[in-house]
Amino acid sequence: MDSSNNRWLLQQLPEWERQGLISSAAAQTLRERYAADDGGAGVSHVIMAALGALLVGTGLIALIGYNWDQFSRPTRLLFAFLPLLVTQVLSLRVVRLGSAAATWKRESVALLQAFAAGACLLLVSQIYNLGGDWPDFLFAWFLLSLPLVWVFRSEAVAIFYLVAIAVWAVAQTDRGAPWHQSAFLYPLLLLGLFPYWPGWKAERPLSVALRWVLAGSALFGLGGAAFLACRGNPGEYPQDSLAAALWLMTLTTAGMTLLPLSSAGIARSTGRKPQVVLGALWVLGYGMAATFREVSQDILQGAAYAMKTGWSWGLLGMIGGFVVLAVGKQRWALLAIASVAFLPLAILPFQTQQPPSGALLSVLAALQLFGIGLTLIVLDLLGRRGSPRFGALLLCLLIIVRLGDSDLSLLTKGSIFLLVGLAFLAFNFFMSRRRQTSLHTIS
Amino acid sequence: MKPLPWLVFASIALAQWIAPLLQIWRHERTISHGTLFKFKCSAPDPYDLLRGRYLAVRPVESSAMPPAGAPMGQNAFVELTVGSDGFAKPGNLSITPPTSGDYLDVKIRYAFGDHATIEWPFDRFYLNEKLAPQADQWFAEHIRSDKGIVAEVRVFNGRGVLTDLTYDNKSVLDILKAQSK
Repeated sequence: MDSSNNRWLLQQLPEWERQGLISSAAAQTLRERYAADDGGAGVSHVIMAALGALLVGTGLIALIGYNWDQFSRPTRLLFAFLPLLVTQVLSLRVVRLGSAAATWKRESVALLQAFAAGACLLLVSQIYNLGGDWPDFLFAWFLLSLPLVWVFRSEAVAIFYLVAIAVWAVAQTDRGAPWHQSAFLYPLLLLGLFPYWPGWKAERPLSVALRWVLAGSALFGLGGAAFLACRGNPGEYPQDSLAAALWLMTLTTAGMTLLPLSSAGIARSTGRKPQVVLGALWVLGYGMAATFREVSQDILQGAAYAMKTGWSWGLLGMIGGFVVLAVGKQRWALLAIASVAFLPLAILPFQTQQPPSGALLSVLAALQLFGIGLTLIVLDLLGRRGSPRFGALLLCLLIIVRLGDSDLSLLTKGSIFLLVGLAFLAFNFFMSRRRQTSLHTIS
Repeated sequence: MKPLPWLVFASIALAQWIAPLLQIWRHERTISHGTLFKFKCSAPDPYDLLRGRYLAVRPVESSAMPPAGAPMGQNAFVELTVGSDGFAKPGNLSITPPTSGDYLDVKIRYAFGDHATIEWPFDRFYLNEKLAPQADQWFAEHIRSDKGIVAEVRVFNGRGVLTDLTYDNKSVLDILKAQSK
């Protein structure tokens, strides 16, 4: 349970004890087991700290900047370093407090120091009329901010870091630069944060907000690397590079969907696993697009091109490991969804003509999506972890998409839409009844 | 008290000072020891969201002879010579620093055959916000004149620092300040 649920439970306990619903001993056990984590960074804490730090930093720079021209170069440099010194002194006081420091203090000083370091770099480069690209500045800034996440366990700086590395990776997709100055560095940068090391202990799970930013950052950052892997040499624009990059992104999202989790992590609701939500939506969207014959042809050409890159083999190796672990944990629903990304690979060996025909892939993609929809429903009916409503929705969408692309008459299409709509409503009703019956049995 | 947080904090606090100080040291050294080169340039007035107003400095001369197999987007070293008009001219490009003469570390923007377009390491001259609108107008009036706008760059060990923009041997900033009085 997250801290807000814990707090709710703790508020209810006295009333439950008074009403005789639970004994004092049971209440005490629950209090100990679900103690509210007041040291955790709530979203409001992070937002307030970020806003405060931003306003203070911007205000200082604006005040100094108003009289900028009046100052000599050494005075300007002094002003560049002064905010950094002040924030470091403030941070020092919080470091001395250690774990006793309040969350808002940790978040505020960490963010202020990160902003002050960035402002110092900017002001120095302005004073000396330094050129250079903004990604170079961003790179220096987020590297100088990363250890603040480690020291202060700062969620706000972690979010800044995740956004910054993704933006940097997307900007570094030009061929020609060495790998350590390109989007290929993104996985290493991500490791720098995860899991708030050094000295990391799994004291509490990451907040939902941070998980979403983490998943979004991974999607864009690894996507940047996929685009870079498929780009030709400078000046060359291979025809299939975009389709290849999109397929590699689909492989990446399939990997995100299957990211290994502990048993407790698997048991959590899907809404608390943004990597699953984002990954599944991307993979299924890609699968839906593959049901169109022309798109299928592009996908096959893209996959064939992508298989010439080392990045795709690395990805496949990593996902292979994830698949083995997912099978061990019996994550069948997610395995079914992730399998969409591998369909072009399975078909490629049978494609002898050039350019490959998209007919086979489009038919198989439609069948596979149909199978996934059914699997998600059947798993739930068999008492395993499935997602019947999502499965039904997938089937409906598939039928709508395929009918929209067909040459059937408007009357036929309308009739089928009507039938599918009624079936969907009936299924929804059936599932609600089934859930109510199940809850009734439990109580 | 745990030593690890202290150690990490001390290291990062130090690094946050070293990074800008290193920049300052390099640029001060270039300004004090560097050779002065003058680049004839054009200078429109854009806006940098992160750092405020500046004049974009684009030297007129920006093509050079590339080394064999010079990949685009990579850094190279361009030899600097002075033409009969007194302005700096880019000479040969090489992957390794030349052993003699003045040179700059530049980026190869585009290369085809015996022609390469280079990206100079100085591309902006920062202005006060109050002077910027006036600078816009002043540049529009003077940019195509015979005297042209000149970027004064100090060059040392491959590094270049833009120290001033001049017009008719007078600092552009001084001209603009005098006009605004």
